Amino acid sequence: MDEKTSLKYQMLCAWSGPLFLVAFIYFWGMMGFNLPAPPSPALGADELAARYVEHLGGIRVGFLVSMIVMTLYIPWTAVLSAQMMRIEGRSPVLAFIQLIGGALTVPVVSISSVFWVAAAYRPERAPEITQALTDSGWLIIDTLWACTTWQMVAAALAALHDKCAKPLFPRWLCFITIFCGLSFAPATMTGILKTGPFAWDGVLSFYFPYFCWLLWFALASVYMILEVARRRQAIDSPSPASSARLAHA
Amino acid sequence: MPGQYPIGAARTGTLPDADALPLSAAARSSASPRRLPGDRDVWIFIYAELCAFGLFFVAYMVYRSDRVDLFNASQLGLDRSLGALNTILLLTSSWAVAAAPRAARLGRIVAVPRYLAFGIALGLAFMVVKYFEYRAKLHAGITISTDMFYMFYFCLTGIHLMHVIAGTIILIVIWLNARARLYHTGNTTGLEAGASYWHMVDLLWIFLFALLYLLR
Repeated sequence: MDEKTSLKYQMLCAWSGPLFLVAFIYFWGMMGFNLPAPPSPALGADELAARYVEHLGGIRVGFLVSMIVMTLYIPWTAVLSAQMMRIEGRSPVLAFIQLIGGALTVPVVSISSVFWVAAAYRPERAPEITQALTDSGWLIIDTLWACTTWQMVAAALAALHDKCAKPLFPRWLCFITIFCGLSFAPATMTGILKTGPFAWDGVLSFYFPYFCWLLWFALASVYMILEVARRRQAIDSPSPASSARLAHA
Repeated sequence: MPGQYPIGAARTGTLPDADALPLSAAARSSASPRRLPGDRDVWIFIYAELCAFGLFFVAYMVYRSDRVDLFNASQLGLDRSLGALNTILLLTSSWAVAAAPRAARLGRIVAVPRYLAFGIALGLAFMVVKYFEYRAKLHAGITISTDMFYMFYFCLTGIHLMHVIAGTIILIVIWLNARARLYHTGNTTGLEAGASYWHMVDLLWIFLFALLYLLR
């Protein structure tokens, strides 16, 4: 494959980021009724089961589609890995960490949706079973945050060492990335707490860390698209200015 | 505390070597009499951390306003003297960690790792005190699930303890660098960046101590 074709695929992969962002917020968040507020862990089994009956269609379609949408994370992680390998050279361990972390984020997020689809599968069954399935889904997505943190910290560290005149991510974004990755940590408390800001519907275990994750994802997507665009421009019109931006500082 | 050393002090242009700095973040901003100590992008990280803790504090105040009686009653179970001891430990460590870059700027290179080692020792002492404090709580049958106050107590002090551990690791890294004589009048950026993080850890504890242990 020539470089021009490769860059075309890289651009498509990078654009899967914004597409994921919009589709995920719509299907997982709004249609699946996790926004404006997810079901409280303090809800009784009967109330929770009634919530499923009330929003049955949205929950089924929202989470079923969000499982497919989640796979857009795959091409996005792949192009980020390729960009990190350019920085790291012969032994790209940080790119590998990022790749594995991103690859594991996909099952973490989508398998939790499977549990919620399973909970909605038989709305007529004993409510305690629906509650157990809902619990399992939330505990999977919230307590397995560290896979994604590895992805983010590895990406930030690699970009901090980018010697290009125009680095992959600006330095400030690298530090924001590390912060956003660590902001997931309170979500571990969801395994114990049922009320308050550290429960799975709380400000500090839901709204803040999920916002940080998607904020990082959005900002990183922008800079990844710009990076591919710079390389395409350097091939299309190899001017001294465009190649200078790609040259090592 | 951040206000103690970073801005002002040695930055009023009285240092003769201010123009001899190499091309670094420090050098670019040293023209201004009130430059940002350390690294601008590390400060962005610190501001993000402060915002997150700001959110924690707001959450605490909101939940507290709902159940003031319960929060006040449960607060009596906290050991104020251990909390105060930890405050003194961190404040003293901040002084030591602030003295290190000053010594480096003045060319007293040998003193830099000594100040940092003192700061590290106090950070470790903080962890030991916290260990005994948590142990006493657990022995008394108080856990994170006891009530909303203790939920905040364990979560907020636990998250802060993670920052103390991270800050101590950062101090150890800059201590090793200082022992290798990496910091001197011409290069204090990394030293100041690490010290700034430590001051943030100290500042957050002062807020936590006031909110959890003292506020009635």
